[in-house]
Amino acid sequence: MAVTPPPAPPETRVNLNDPQVVAEKIKTTLPDAVESVSAQAIVVQNDKLLEVARYLHDSLGFDYLNNLTSVDWLDRFEVVYHLTAIRRGGTPLTLKVNAARDNPTVPSLVPVYRGADCQEREVYDLMGVRFTGHPNLRRILMWDGFEGYPLRKDYKEPYYEEDHKPFGTRWDQGHHVIAEDRNPWHDNVKYPGNFDALAFKPPRDEIRTIGVEQAVATKLRTDKIILNFGPQHPSTHGVLRLRATLDGETVVAVEPVLGYLHRNHEKIGERNTYLGNMPFTDRLDYFTSMANNLAYAVGVEKLMGIKPPERAEYIRVIMAELTRWLGHAVAVGFLYNELGAFYTPLIYGLEERELILDLFEAASGSRMMCNYVRFGGVARDVPAGFLDKCQYLVDERLPRKTDELESYLVKNELFLARARNVGVLPGDVAINYSAAGPVLRASGVKYDVRRAEPYSIYDRFEFEIPTGTVGDVYDRIVVRFAEMRQSLRILKQALKGIPAGEIMTGKKNYQVRVPKGEVYGRAENPKGELGFYLVSDGSPNPYRYHVRSPSFIHLGALNEMSAGYKIADLIVIQGSIDVVMGEVDR
Amino acid sequence: MSLDPLVITIIEALVKSIVVIVGLLTAFAYLTLVERYVVAKIQSRIGPNRVGAIGPIAVLQPIADALKMIFKEDIWPAQADQVAYTIAPGIAVGTALVAWAVIPLNPSLTIAGYKIDFYIADVNVALLYLLAIGSLGVYGIVLGGWSSNNKYSLLGALRSTAQMVSYEISLGLGLVGVLMISGSLSLVDIVQKQATVWNVVWQPLGLIVYFIAATAEINRLPFDLPEAETELVAGFATEYSSLKWALFYMAEYINMITISVIASTLFLGGYQGPFGILPGFHWLFLKIAFFIFVLMWIRYTFPRFRYDQLMRFGWKVLLPLALANIFVTAIVMVVLGR
Repeated sequence: MAVTPPPAPPETRVNLNDPQVVAEKIKTTLPDAVESVSAQAIVVQNDKLLEVARYLHDSLGFDYLNNLTSVDWLDRFEVVYHLTAIRRGGTPLTLKVNAARDNPTVPSLVPVYRGADCQEREVYDLMGVRFTGHPNLRRILMWDGFEGYPLRKDYKEPYYEEDHKPFGTRWDQGHHVIAEDRNPWHDNVKYPGNFDALAFKPPRDEIRTIGVEQAVATKLRTDKIILNFGPQHPSTHGVLRLRATLDGETVVAVEPVLGYLHRNHEKIGERNTYLGNMPFTDRLDYFTSMANNLAYAVGVEKLMGIKPPERAEYIRVIMAELTRWLGHAVAVGFLYNELGAFYTPLIYGLEERELILDLFEAASGSRMMCNYVRFGGVARDVPAGFLDKCQYLVDERLPRKTDELESYLVKNELFLARARNVGVLPGDVAINYSAAGPVLRASGVKYDVRRAEPYSIYDRFEFEIPTGTVGDVYDRIVVRFAEMRQSLRILKQALKGIPAGEIMTGKKNYQVRVPKGEVYGRAENPKGELGFYLVSDGSPNPYRYHVRSPSFIHLGALNEMSAGYKIADLIVIQGSIDVVMGEVDR
Repeated sequence: MSLDPLVITIIEALVKSIVVIVGLLTAFAYLTLVERYVVAKIQSRIGPNRVGAIGPIAVLQPIADALKMIFKEDIWPAQADQVAYTIAPGIAVGTALVAWAVIPLNPSLTIAGYKIDFYIADVNVALLYLLAIGSLGVYGIVLGGWSSNNKYSLLGALRSTAQMVSYEISLGLGLVGVLMISGSLSLVDIVQKQATVWNVVWQPLGLIVYFIAATAEINRLPFDLPEAETELVAGFATEYSSLKWALFYMAEYINMITISVIASTLFLGGYQGPFGILPGFHWLFLKIAFFIFVLMWIRYTFPRFRYDQLMRFGWKVLLPLALANIFVTAIVMVVLGR
């Protein structure tokens, strides 16, 4: 189902991406819904939020919720929404709503955007904002029973408790009191007085997942079993835990249980300086560190208003596209593992990845955690011989290997039987679930951040946005192979056009000054749209640092994709959205 | 003084059994090594090259593996059914070994007036015996999966039962063609009748049906659903550790050899050489090696079937093929007047 742009409504002449214009439109239908409006954002009345969202979704075509997060302003909480009109195109519209500092509540947007589900749970978990009307408002990253909301500014983190965190000495006088002694982590959990962990049985051993109640009613009176896949399981991509309700071999419902790799990346990000966060972005999706760096730099540069020199832009694009190639090759390999093809396709992908990693190592000094991009350029110029090796890979080896892998993998009968019409996510549903990247495109939605909101110098290159038709596992693989080809196409153009010259605007700095403001910077990563929402108060470290990670949001759609299929399919579907836990749990 | 013939027979059978069992266990150990080299080659890797390496071959690797297995902690799940949990691996290995009683390995020799047969027993229903023993093998898996009291194991055991029921029939029917041609159930007879022309010439479809069904029977990929590492962790063997796990593993590998030897015996003439050239164990060895290589090759290149697809394939493709094979064989035999 290819998505055709809807017939142009009469108001296309006015710019619907301008908050002022949108606010005027909202005012005509919902007169007292808008609290205030600026050039960046619309602030909406708390109790009118759901109506406004519904109006934006239904009438103005804002069908996609990019990002949902919140900021603690000490006197109030601000919940921030970024909405895009995917079918119309354009940049995200920022919507904000304020909530009182004590007992903050905001209407849930799940009825309008189902992609808000996981993100609202995350905000509730880390910031303590309650979403009224959310079907399943529980902690998602922290464990049940954790006390406190770690992203609140008044949450004192053990070991790092000072107000101004980055460079302060903790105890000038050598006062050795470890903060954890005063605020030990085990006191963050409240157990009943005579709690015995071994004898503990949860009050009801049934899955608390949306939709289970409807699905459980079947003709035969059979027992469901609940199976926990993971967190230690051969094919759950790290420490993902899937709580699946099974009826025989059929999956009735599945709920991802997250947080096993949670390190509160965002809290650490608010403690670090802007540049200090760069290596931390490597650890998000650890397969694609170069692209993560780029996405973060895109955000911060937008805020700083600087532009890297030409050569640096070209180098960034080369690195990002090599990353996309290797990311997809590995994703396909892992998917085959899930299908049961004992590591062979994965190792074929890894073989090529090694060659690309050699290039990364030559340029950045590290194979996986590259930490290569800087604000206003890249860390250092590529070494001599780099471009020749890259040229060889791009012109000869990688195209040949792409064809080879595709001919081995995509045409295999067993693969077709396993992948066709499995895990179907129709285009509209994919948009509603905020799917991004290959998962969204496989569902037939022609959307790519590189085209929708070109960053770096992507507007100069010729490439196509491959799309699938059905939105099943097969399409997700085919789209990935097509994107690998398009990456090579971009690489060819970039290698041809790369100029000599500077690689950094201004001089190298350990400390950047970022002016006050906020920005949502995003880039098309191999896994999907990686976004960074940054709020700067002018200090050396971000006031708010939020990562919109595609894998995390895709997991919210896992139940929709896999309910009704077999156990074996669940594993394959989970592989086809290509989750990386470093990014999911953050 | 001469011994009672019965005593001689018993001693002979004992010696032969010990030789076969020791041979099989050694073969199992080195088969794991061979498999690691085959998969390394397929995946463009090097493979084991450290333990007792002679050149690039780690000759002592299987021994190191065995020692490691023995010294691993043997974990007993608290909620497991202790008896069934213990005997299940034994059943798996036992049935895998017992099948070898009826397989002729070499032409009979006469040394110093004493005739030595290179089989343990010439049973006149050997083929039925093989099928029966093969079906018993599933009890090891089902008992192991059931008694472990683990959801993964239970699912693995259920899958194994369903799979066995579906493929057993095709397995048997695939062999019926050979039976019709040979007119005997004794493997010794069947091999001797293939001295000039192997059965595969008349029964190519039979071989294919048998081999696919047998692959499913011993749970090798693409039919390894009871084990299904990426779905069920280790399926029926999830809770097993140490030597008990090694026994399951051993059963799988011995079964691999067994189905290869049955395929070689029934379809490729057993120890007979092509066109009657130089019959002997070396031919059988080569044939077994060929089948085992094919099994490994398939394992490391194909994705796995899904449960329902496996069932559909068994009942809707394999079974009709096997029946068609019997039908055609019967008609041809009547027409040729044999």
